[in-house]
Amino acid sequence: MIVRAAAVSVIQSALSAVEAERQLINDLNVYPVPDGDTGTNMALTVRAVVEELEQSDVTDIPSVAAAVTKGSLMGARGNSGVILSQIVRGICDVWGQANSLDTAVFKQAVMEGQHAAYRAVKEPVEGTMLTVIREMATAAQAVPDGLGLEHLLAAVEEAGRVAVENTTAQLPALQKAGVVDAGGYGLLVLFRGLAAGIHDLVRGGRIAAGARLAARAAVGPVAAPMPPERRVVVEQPSELSEYRYCTSLLLTGTAIDREALEAFLAPLGDSALVVGDERTVKIHVHVNDPGVVLSEAVRHGAIGDVEINDMHAQTRERDERLAMPTTSTPEIGEGGSVVVAVVAGAGNQQLFRDLGCHAVVDGGQSMNPSAAQLLDAVEALGAEEVVILPNNGNVILTAEQAAGMSPLHIAVVPSRSIPSGLAAMVAFDPGEDAVGNARLMEDAIADVRCGEVTHAVRDSELDGVEVKKGQAMGIVDGKLVAAADDIEGAFGGVLAEFVRGGADYVTVLTALNGSPGTTRERLAEIAARLAPDAEVSFHEGGQPLYPILASAE
Amino acid sequence: MTDLLTLENTAIVMDSTCDPPDGWFDQPGLYLVPLKVHFGDQMFRDGVDMTYKEFFAKLRGSDILPTTSQPTAGEFLATYQAARERYEHVFSLHISGEMSGTVRAAQQAAEEIDNVHVYDLRTVTSALALGAERLRAHLADGCTLDAAKAYVERYRDESRVLIHAATLEYLRRGGRIGLAASFVGGVFDIKPLIHVVDGTMTGYAKVRGQKKAFAAMRRYLDEHSRPDDHIWFCTIDADTDDEPQQIRELIQSCRPNAHFVWQGHVAAVVGTHIGPGTAAFAMIVE
Repeated sequence: MIVRAAAVSVIQSALSAVEAERQLINDLNVYPVPDGDTGTNMALTVRAVVEELEQSDVTDIPSVAAAVTKGSLMGARGNSGVILSQIVRGICDVWGQANSLDTAVFKQAVMEGQHAAYRAVKEPVEGTMLTVIREMATAAQAVPDGLGLEHLLAAVEEAGRVAVENTTAQLPALQKAGVVDAGGYGLLVLFRGLAAGIHDLVRGGRIAAGARLAARAAVGPVAAPMPPERRVVVEQPSELSEYRYCTSLLLTGTAIDREALEAFLAPLGDSALVVGDERTVKIHVHVNDPGVVLSEAVRHGAIGDVEINDMHAQTRERDERLAMPTTSTPEIGEGGSVVVAVVAGAGNQQLFRDLGCHAVVDGGQSMNPSAAQLLDAVEALGAEEVVILPNNGNVILTAEQAAGMSPLHIAVVPSRSIPSGLAAMVAFDPGEDAVGNARLMEDAIADVRCGEVTHAVRDSELDGVEVKKGQAMGIVDGKLVAAADDIEGAFGGVLAEFVRGGADYVTVLTALNGSPGTTRERLAEIAARLAPDAEVSFHEGGQPLYPILASAE
Repeated sequence: MTDLLTLENTAIVMDSTCDPPDGWFDQPGLYLVPLKVHFGDQMFRDGVDMTYKEFFAKLRGSDILPTTSQPTAGEFLATYQAARERYEHVFSLHISGEMSGTVRAAQQAAEEIDNVHVYDLRTVTSALALGAERLRAHLADGCTLDAAKAYVERYRDESRVLIHAATLEYLRRGGRIGLAASFVGGVFDIKPLIHVVDGTMTGYAKVRGQKKAFAAMRRYLDEHSRPDDHIWFCTIDADTDDEPQQIRELIQSCRPNAHFVWQGHVAAVVGTHIGPGTAAFAMIVE
């Protein structure tokens, strides 16, 4: 009972890991057929193991190991699922016979897992999950028996990670698509889940009496799950497979001749797998006429769990899914950088996003973000090269603090206002690194003058201009240039100041909700009168406190 | 077999992405092979069935974006045969193979017939017709076949085109954006400047406002010519106001030896991909 519960919790952890990355694994799937179902098949195979264990009542290790083997065979789906079931079978054979689990047993088990997988595949191909399990098994052998299981798991995981990375170069189909092997990556994800599950067991002290897990206190987490960092993009329609139907079924009988079945299937198609024992056999094959496979199978026993998938349709679905933009967030280009901007106002935030800004942090005079908030936004993007646009004089220092706290390459462009930040965004080049972009953006904002219109909160005299509480103030580059009874008057003062300094292009960001009577049309008339030579462009900014933000270039 | 190629013995075949001025193809020795434009179920021949003005009126009023398709090798062959009945040599000059498969159809057809010289000019729009116009100038003086070929190759390698696009929307929607994909267009009043590099439309600058656009054009001129160079150039109009005229004045003001050839009009196929409100110029230093 305890062994079974422990096995369920460990395998459940593996299942969760695969489920979490199921879609990514599906998307990676280009070999042998780009039918985009590797993640789904692996998840269903692992789920069958959990279900088998949950409905059985076995308690000892040999029986639990047998149940795991049976569940994976019965539930095996697709090429990757069937090969996975053989890895599981090899591992469980050793585990069941040893009737214990420690470093030495695990080493032997994973080696047998490798052998079983290779035995199942008639013509093994490098750059697939076979390569990955072999590299993992080889790495395991190098770990001394005296070391704890957590060392072994860490070594195996690292070998798996490297092997997965290498698959791209090993298989032309993967290289062409620029992906790692889906089955290999799925196996790594599954192993990470298993290792995390074992780790939890060890740490939680729920060590089964019968299973002598090397119960050392682990130093740290065995395997921190990596965030999915790959996004698969399909640029051209994938080639359709020669054989159209992925056909799999479960065959039960008394003395099933697997070799005869294999010999029958081989000339019909490809990817043929016939695994199991003389009483239960899983068949998987890619053919153009599934009927022939079924007719032959019923001659050997009773068939069940028949599944036939049209891989041409699956390939087209995968292409369509991957051709669709999954999110409006701009992609992070190779060698390029991303932008995090502090922006107040819904309209302004949308403008930044439209210009390719990757993350917007809510800002504003009364709600400046902390360095930690900025760092959160930066780190959530998962990019190495980041530009921060503070868009406010009071946030520049915070942004620089955040940059100093992070190991990432962060460049802070000292934009003091939202219009200035927008001018910087126009110059943004997603292909440039952070430093390169900072240079482009600083050049772009060097000659931008910024103005704003707001209401005075008290009587005062600033820069030689007298202002009464409630009056509208026009400010240019931090200097008060006009006080007026309404914002149109103050806007006129800002424009006049712009024109004095030379203005070819004026950008106006409005937030006129609290200013009844003032419309964009009125402001445009004022601009046409006071700055007749400038092109003026209006946008709804929605920022708080400032009915008008403006810039002149 | 005459030794010298002249306007009398040499024809030029163009596809309809060459965007010449109105009536240009009425001149003897010039042949047009149209691409096709499809508005839903409606099909018409580019530059033949509809004027550029009618096309842009239709484009602005249409919810569906038209699609375009290239001529077949058979259509090229028929044109080559017609041209060869009256002319000894045929030069067939075409839109960049990176942008359209047109030139491949032309090459296929040329294999079936003698003395047809097909070139991928690696560019687009009126830059193509300008190349033909300049070749005609050399033919008018008479030149050897080798000299004519050398000129076309030089034009292919050294001509320039800079497009001030109203929006990148049409480029993006038509999938004709190439490296310009990283360029933002139609947002925040940005009008990108696009040039052609390695046969592909590529972003040159992102600008807001006419003054900055002209400053960028000036910079482009300086990068590709010297003040006293002899420049042959055309302006290009895609349903714009007076911008082509301003571009002409800009070039003539800073290049006293510039020769304005004519103003081309963007026809349907190119118009479908760059959109109305676009102005451009093409040039070659000779």
